[in-house]
Amino acid sequence: MQKILQDRVSTLALTILVVGLVAALVFPETFPTFGNFSQVLLNLSIDTVVAVGMMVLLVAGVFDLSVGSVVAFSGGLVAYLLYFHQLPVPLALLAGMAGAVLIGAINGYLIAYQDINPMIQTLAMMGIVRGGALMVSGAGIQNLPYWFNAISQSKLLGIQMPVWYMLLTVAVFSFLMQKTVFFRRYYYIGSNEKAATLSGIRVQRMKMIAFILSATLAGMAGILLASRLGAALATSGRGLELRVITAVILGGASLSGGHGKIPGALLGAVFMGIVSNIMIIARVSGYWQEIILGLILISVVWVDKALQKRTW
Amino acid sequence: MKKSLFLLLVVFGCELPPRQNTATTAATAVNQTKTDPGEEEYVLVTTAVTMPMYVNHDQAAFKRWGEKMGVHVSILGPAEWDIPAQINTIEEVLGTRPTGLLINGTNPAIASVIDKAVNAGIPTVVYDSDIPQSKRHAFLGTDWYQIGQMQGEEMVRLTGGKGKIAYMGILGLTNMEAGFQGLLDVLKKHPGIEVVGKYDDKANVEEAARITSDLLAAHPDLAGLCGFDSNSGPGMALAVKEAGKAGKVKITTVDWEPEHLQLVRDGVIHMLAGQKRELFTWYGAQMLYDMVHQTNRLSANDARAHITNIPTTVNTGLLRITKQNVDQFIHSTPSP
Repeated sequence: MQKILQDRVSTLALTILVVGLVAALVFPETFPTFGNFSQVLLNLSIDTVVAVGMMVLLVAGVFDLSVGSVVAFSGGLVAYLLYFHQLPVPLALLAGMAGAVLIGAINGYLIAYQDINPMIQTLAMMGIVRGGALMVSGAGIQNLPYWFNAISQSKLLGIQMPVWYMLLTVAVFSFLMQKTVFFRRYYYIGSNEKAATLSGIRVQRMKMIAFILSATLAGMAGILLASRLGAALATSGRGLELRVITAVILGGASLSGGHGKIPGALLGAVFMGIVSNIMIIARVSGYWQEIILGLILISVVWVDKALQKRTW
Repeated sequence: MKKSLFLLLVVFGCELPPRQNTATTAATAVNQTKTDPGEEEYVLVTTAVTMPMYVNHDQAAFKRWGEKMGVHVSILGPAEWDIPAQINTIEEVLGTRPTGLLINGTNPAIASVIDKAVNAGIPTVVYDSDIPQSKRHAFLGTDWYQIGQMQGEEMVRLTGGKGKIAYMGILGLTNMEAGFQGLLDVLKKHPGIEVVGKYDDKANVEEAARITSDLLAAHPDLAGLCGFDSNSGPGMALAVKEAGKAGKVKITTVDWEPEHLQLVRDGVIHMLAGQKRELFTWYGAQMLYDMVHQTNRLSANDARAHITNIPTTVNTGLLRITKQNVDQFIHSTPSP
């Protein structure tokens, strides 16, 4: 019992269950339906894919504020190449992903090897990439090819594809972070960077790889979003970085590094998605939604801290 | 065996999206089962739900309409300008089966979710900017291209068709880009006018002021400025006043919040191209109501005939506010 209550993933899963049960009792006709659940999962799928990359970064003790701009840029670049240059879908996808990888590599190199503060570097990159997104997307690009739209608009077992991509991403990164020596090094780096360096871990290279991974996942999320909307928008992903960091913190990560599990990123996003869904069903005004989400974040982290301090 | 079962699931469980998503003018049948107004709920979904202009005009009129008609009204949407979040909100609202949906046409990307609402039999009206590629039952609002034209024509008149002009707004928004184009199409007919820049003020007063002061430093002979979002005007006016050029640099912009009106009265802003936003939501909601209640039935059964009994497109027109008529707006309050 003590172990369960002191593990954020377990407490969050329990909280989601309780909140879900209460909502099902209060709104029996609209909340506990297959349609509503699949819609909630679809709505949080893009954020969760980005959150997985952010979790890896936060475990390593760093973060990336440019992910929202990368989402807009990668989707915009693919749409631009498809619409204006009629590139085949696979080639355009490759170009979009390559753009995201490049942004991650620049962030990673300047932060890891040139010792630029992650907040300053990724804040600057956020503006640069947003400008790039505006250049490629302009007022928005619509009428994208059918097979590009099919990437996100197809369904498997009645559930839209981004949900499956999200689950696959979570499963792959959960395995990597828990079972592989390479990825477990991020926990050592986040807990004590100096000790990690002294023990022979190539911290700079590992950090650079983490930024590349995070940007790659953001790039993938941007492509999935553009495909889902059937359009690329320069304004996509505005504020996404803060939503994602909130979800990851809710899911057990710490800004000081060394903590967090990939399923926590998913559960953090699910929790925020369910709360937001309940507020929509309950017709809670937009003014209150932000306040309630903020209060919930503080409450969850506070209760979790209290549980961890308690001696059983 | 397990592998074969999984493959079967994947093959038969996979469903591709429909081939073409084109809008049709024929209306999709609408559910008309609810007739008691007390049970009805009309939902307005926008993005940037807390934006003062939306709250003071669109949402206030929508609430007044709900009170007058004795129906429930709800206003939903993300606090920030976030189109995917607006789409998510609409998707989640559909599951709750509202009587009617009034949607702010923020971007063409919302077309598919509008189609989803229409296909679900929910009366759906779009306001502010049209989404013509969707199956929306009706649109009412202003033509942003005309807003740009109106500002361009006024700027030509104010400057005598000569001098340097710059303009700003939120880049990347479909409606504003249409407004920019309207402005440029007028200005390019006047060779004496030089357009020195297009700027993104991010709907932020401080940013609009910073851009303007930089422009005044780079072009001391700047003749005019055109604004396209609610905060462009106050920002441009602030920087022009601080540079001691109030009245000399001509300013036209959009919206007519109290601070805009005061700046017109003070002679800092020369013209406001105002939208009749109250009409968007009041008549938009009324259209939804008329659809549901078949107020003006046009056939034996409009739903079965696949027609709508409301206007398809309504242009609510523009207000031209200058120093000559500004006092009428400063003293006016929206009718109860």
